Amino acid sequence: MSAEPRADVLVIGSGASGAAICKRLSDHGAKVVCLEQGDWIDRARLPKAHVDWEVRGRRHWAANPNVRRWPADYPVGSEGDDPIDVYMYNAVGGSQVGFAGNYWRFAPSDFRVKTLDGVGVDWPLTYEELAPYYTINEAEVGVAGLAGDPCGPERDPLPNPPAPLGRPGELLVDAYEKLGWYWWPTEQSITTQAYRGRPACDHRGWCTFGCPLGSLSTADLTYWPGALENGVELRTNARVREIMLGPDGRAVGARYYDHEGVIQEARAAVVVVACGGLGTPRLLKMSASPAHPDGLANSSGLVGKNLMVHVQSFATGHFEQPVEGWRGTWGGTVSTRQFYETDPGRDYVRGFIMSGCPGWSPLNLALQIAPWGSGHHAAFDERINHEISMYMCGEDLPEESNRVELDWEHLDAFGMPGLRTHHALNENSKRLGKDMIAHGRQVLDAAGAKSVRDFGLAPIWGWHLLGTARMGNDPQTSVADAFNRAHDVPNLFVADSSSMPTSGGVNPSHTIQALALRCADHIWENRRDFV
Amino acid sequence: MAYDRKQEGGHKVAQANRPDYRLEVGRAEVPVGEPRGFAVLDPARAATLKAWVATLIPADRTLPDAAAMGAAEYIDATVSKVPSLRPALLTALDTAERIAQGKAHKTFAECTADVRERLLREFQRDGDADAFQMISDFTYEAYYGHHDVLASLEATTGWKGLGPMKGGPMKPFDPGLLTRVKALPPRWRKV
Repeated sequence: MSAEPRADVLVIGSGASGAAICKRLSDHGAKVVCLEQGDWIDRARLPKAHVDWEVRGRRHWAANPNVRRWPADYPVGSEGDDPIDVYMYNAVGGSQVGFAGNYWRFAPSDFRVKTLDGVGVDWPLTYEELAPYYTINEAEVGVAGLAGDPCGPERDPLPNPPAPLGRPGELLVDAYEKLGWYWWPTEQSITTQAYRGRPACDHRGWCTFGCPLGSLSTADLTYWPGALENGVELRTNARVREIMLGPDGRAVGARYYDHEGVIQEARAAVVVVACGGLGTPRLLKMSASPAHPDGLANSSGLVGKNLMVHVQSFATGHFEQPVEGWRGTWGGTVSTRQFYETDPGRDYVRGFIMSGCPGWSPLNLALQIAPWGSGHHAAFDERINHEISMYMCGEDLPEESNRVELDWEHLDAFGMPGLRTHHALNENSKRLGKDMIAHGRQVLDAAGAKSVRDFGLAPIWGWHLLGTARMGNDPQTSVADAFNRAHDVPNLFVADSSSMPTSGGVNPSHTIQALALRCADHIWENRRDFV
Repeated sequence: MAYDRKQEGGHKVAQANRPDYRLEVGRAEVPVGEPRGFAVLDPARAATLKAWVATLIPADRTLPDAAAMGAAEYIDATVSKVPSLRPALLTALDTAERIAQGKAHKTFAECTADVRERLLREFQRDGDADAFQMISDFTYEAYYGHHDVLASLEATTGWKGLGPMKGGPMKPFDPGLLTRVKALPPRWRKV
C-alpha cells in the first residue's frame, strides 16, 4: 500500500456526475484525483462499430450487469412486486456509455413536489438556482434543441440545432397538430453539427448501442478530455472498498483495490461520492464503522432508501406506409409535455413526457413479433419498415420501501458485496402509467397507425436509478444538504443520481450533471473550510 | 435496444442468483457471420441442429434460411464459450431426434420441412421450453445479425439493414412547424 501526497478533492466515480465535477473543479485549479472501478470503453468494441451490433448489445455490451459481467461489475438482484431490470455500466463515462441522449431540464414544479402536490418531498433548491448550471452543462455537452418551448421557463439558446425529424417525427408532428397538443423538438445530447472537435451526427440511429462517430455526448467524450488536460488524475480499475475517516470524523480518503488487486489508498481534503443510484449507497454502506454502524452518512437511515426508477413504457404503432425508421437519432426527435404538470381532473398527481422514436431494429423486432416457422417472414416483413414507437416516462414518487441493500451472498470479483433492489410501484404510479400508455396510444392513432401495441409497465426498466442518498435541508429526512454535503461528515459530498429527492418525469442526465457542476462550484468557493 | 424486448410468457428479469441462458450469454462474445465449424457438436447432432434452425427461420424469396447463415455453428460457438449451456442443447437435440425417429421413422434432418415444424411445435409444447427458447433466440441472433440478411432486407422490405452502419443526410428540422405551438400560452407552473 502506497502513501501519497494529498489531493484537494478525491472523486469516486467517473460517470456523468463524477466527470462533470472533475472537469469543473480542475477548471478552477483544484488538484483532483478520480477513482473509477471500470476502465475506458474500447471504442472499437462499441456494438455499433460492427454490423452485428444488435447481437453484441445483447451479450458483452448488455446493459444489465448480471448479463454483461465485466470485471468491474457487481451482482444486482431484483426483488419486490415490480422488480427492476437494472441497466448500468461501470466504466469511464458511467451509464452514459449506453444511453440515448435525451437531455431534459426539469420543470420548476419538479423542485416543489410536496408544496404543490402534497406528495414526495421538496428539493432544497429551486429551478432558478440550478438553471445557470443547466446552461453551462448544455455548452459543455453540446446539447441539440431549440429554446422557446412554452412548457418551460425562458432560457438561453442551445448550442446545436435540433435533430432532423425523419418520417417518424413528421407523422407524430401531424398527430400533435391534429390533437392540438403542445409538442417540441426533443433536446438531445448529440452534436447535430460539428462542435468542440466532435463531428456532426450522421443519423446512423440506435444511439444506445454506442456512437462510433463520437457525436453522442457521453461523459468520456465531453468532460473527460478537458479534465485530463487540466491535470485530473484518473485511476481506472480502482475498486473502492471504503471511505476512510480521520479521528476527527472527517473523511480523509478512500481505500481501493488497484488493477492488480492490491489495496491502495487515495487521500484528499474533500471526498465526493459519485457512483450513481446503486453504487453510491453500496459504497456508503460498505464504509460502515463503529462510529457509523449503519453505513457512512446514514444517521437518517435513508442511505439506500427511496429508490426511484420512473414509470416507463413504449407504445408501438403499425403504419400502412413505410416510415424509414432505420436512420435518425433513436431517443426521440419530437416530444410532448402536454401531460407533464399535475391536472386536478386526473386521478393521479404529477405527470409524464412522451418522445417519438423510430420503430424497432430487425433482431429486436423479430424477437418481439415474428413467430418461428413458416409464418416468420410474413410477420416480420409486415412490420419492419412500418412501425413507430412512443417512449413514455413518468414520475415515480419516493417510497422508503423501495430500496437497495448489500447482498453478501453474491460478491464481486474482489469479495465486495453485490446489491439487492426492492421495488414496487405505488398506486399513483400505476394510475399515472395507465393514463400515460393510453395517451401514447392516442398519439399513434392520431398519426394514422392501423394498430397499436404497448409494453405495459412490467418489468420496470432500470435506466434511471435515483434517490438513494437524497438531498434535503433536514438531516433527519435526507442524507446530504442543498449543496450535496453529507449532513454527517463535513467534507464528504454525495453528488449523483442518488442525490435527487424526487425523480421528475423526464430523463435525468442533464439534472444530474447540473447538480454536479453546482456542487463543484460550492466545494471550490468553500475550499478554505476543507484545508 | 435489446433490453426493450418483452419475452413471450412474460419478461424475465435477469437475476444474479438464477441460472439462466439469458445471463450466461454475456460471457459469449461470438461475432456473427464468421466462417467457423463445430467445436462441441458431433456431425450427427450438428445435422440435427442445422435442420432445427432452418425450420425456425426458413428461406423466403431472396432470403436464405438460418442454417445457410451459419446459425448452427453460431450456437455451437456460443455453447463452446459457455459450457454450462451445453447440457440443455445436447439434451434438446437428442430429444428431437428421438421424437423424429419415433413418429416419422427418419432422422430429424431427413424429415420434410412441414414435419420438422410439427415435431418442433410438439417439442416446444411438451419438452424443455427453455432450451427451445434458447435455441430460438440464438438462431434469431445469428440471422438478424448477419450482414447478408441485413443487406437483403432492403429488397424485400425497403428497410435499409446496413443504413445504421453508414448514416446519411436528412432534412433539417423546420422551425416553421412550431408556429401554432409557439402561440400557445405557457404550460408550466410558476412556484
